[in-house]
Amino acid sequence: MDRGVVVVGAGIGGISAAASLRARGYDGEVTVVDAGDFPHDRPPLSKAYLAGKTGAADIALQPEHWYDDNRINLRCQRRATALRCEGAVELDDGTMIAASRVVLATGATAARPILPGIEDDRIHGLRTATDADRLAAALVPGARLLIVGAGLIGAEVASTATDIGCAVTLVDPTEIPLSQAFGADVADWLHGLAARRGVDVHTAAVRGFTSSREGITATIGETSADFDAVLMAVGMRADTALAAAAGLRLDRGVLVDDAMVSSNSAILAVGDVASPTGAFTGGRGHWETARLQADRVAATIVGQPLQAGAPPPPWFWTDRFGLHVEVVGEMSSGESVVVRGTFGEPPFAAFALRGDKLVGAVGVDDTKAVRAARRMIERDVSVDAEALRDISIDLRTLLSR
Amino acid sequence: MIDGIHVAALEDIPVGEGITIDRDRAGTADDIAVLRDDDGSVWALNDTCTHADASLAEGWVEDGYVECPLHSSKFCLKTGAVQGMPATRDAITHRVEVRDGNVYLYPRSS
Repeated sequence: MDRGVVVVGAGIGGISAAASLRARGYDGEVTVVDAGDFPHDRPPLSKAYLAGKTGAADIALQPEHWYDDNRINLRCQRRATALRCEGAVELDDGTMIAASRVVLATGATAARPILPGIEDDRIHGLRTATDADRLAAALVPGARLLIVGAGLIGAEVASTATDIGCAVTLVDPTEIPLSQAFGADVADWLHGLAARRGVDVHTAAVRGFTSSREGITATIGETSADFDAVLMAVGMRADTALAAAAGLRLDRGVLVDDAMVSSNSAILAVGDVASPTGAFTGGRGHWETARLQADRVAATIVGQPLQAGAPPPPWFWTDRFGLHVEVVGEMSSGESVVVRGTFGEPPFAAFALRGDKLVGAVGVDDTKAVRAARRMIERDVSVDAEALRDISIDLRTLLSR
Repeated sequence: MIDGIHVAALEDIPVGEGITIDRDRAGTADDIAVLRDDDGSVWALNDTCTHADASLAEGWVEDGYVECPLHSSKFCLKTGAVQGMPATRDAITHRVEVRDGNVYLYPRSS
């Protein structure tokens, strides 16, 4: 007898899994457990939500009535503390929820490297709405903010904090952060935006912190400087505590096959906590990857066939300094790069080619180019580099060849 | 307004593209996106994506759907039904007619 599904974690992966179960006709009990106050989206946490331009209701993944409408039993402000082998999930208030299948959507936590002086509540991470609320309170005009790590989140917060009027310092030991994701030229240009917009950018490692009532002194390379707040934006660690306690096979996440099933057939995993080993991988850490994996989770649970064929090319977006940037495919796997438009003058796009096939594209304020590129990759069409470069040619016409 | 609002000649809306009709002209709360699907048919939806501040007239139109230019939520051109997150609310549709090579919009009162 089916005892229902418990989804642990209410990010885009967990909520999408619940939604897909219902969309695929699953009729059993569905419970979603999450430690946070409400299921919310994460991309706005470093952008509009952090800036105070959108509120909690705007970032809610689903409107409140959706959970009742879809018979989703939502248990917020609760932690799952154990997965019981008899088929139940134990919560921190002692409740046991019966489950035939468990979906681990526990996501990740912001990495917090062990550095001298890191235990100071003015040194922030950014992962949840609560984190964003705390950070936002520190981002007042004139505040001195140090951001450690110039990845997507570091760069986005640098942009948001600059708009607020903070004095922002951005430090990363890598000369060109995200060059794998954007391709070296675009990555260099995007990273350079921060300095051009007044951010104090350093290529260096942060070695530690000294706290005083007036602020935090950070040791950056061989120098030091004083700050009012620090954001550690140095990546994430998959939240595998429950999985490890349940004895699942792990690497940096929960190992899952193409059906998103872990080493225990009753337990599936999705999103940032999952570590796919099959052909269906997607871009690790990305919003859309979690959403697509969630649909596979649901298909597996209801026993419907998995979508065959190659996975869609990974896709993500980022917004910084007023520009909307999207990437599809893998820029780093190209042999040559073709620029459409004038490099450095948005809108423009860069396409990565391998032979006559497109393998990746990045658009700066050019979402049409990315949408066209996504279809070129999915449909495996041959493309002509000169045609990609020619802005008088509608990219849509290249799809039908 | 029995004849509707003449918004464009059909040939001025390329296949797969859209135009925006200002809310003041349409007499509606939101601007309206008039979109041309790849089969040549013409459809109209409220222009602002129900998720974030993006113009659906700038979106990718194909196969009965428009894909938002910001976060790729898809909306059915015919019904406005949303087909995937991040948006969770359907788009509002408006009636469009093509007569003698011209596109007429009949905004739904809002």
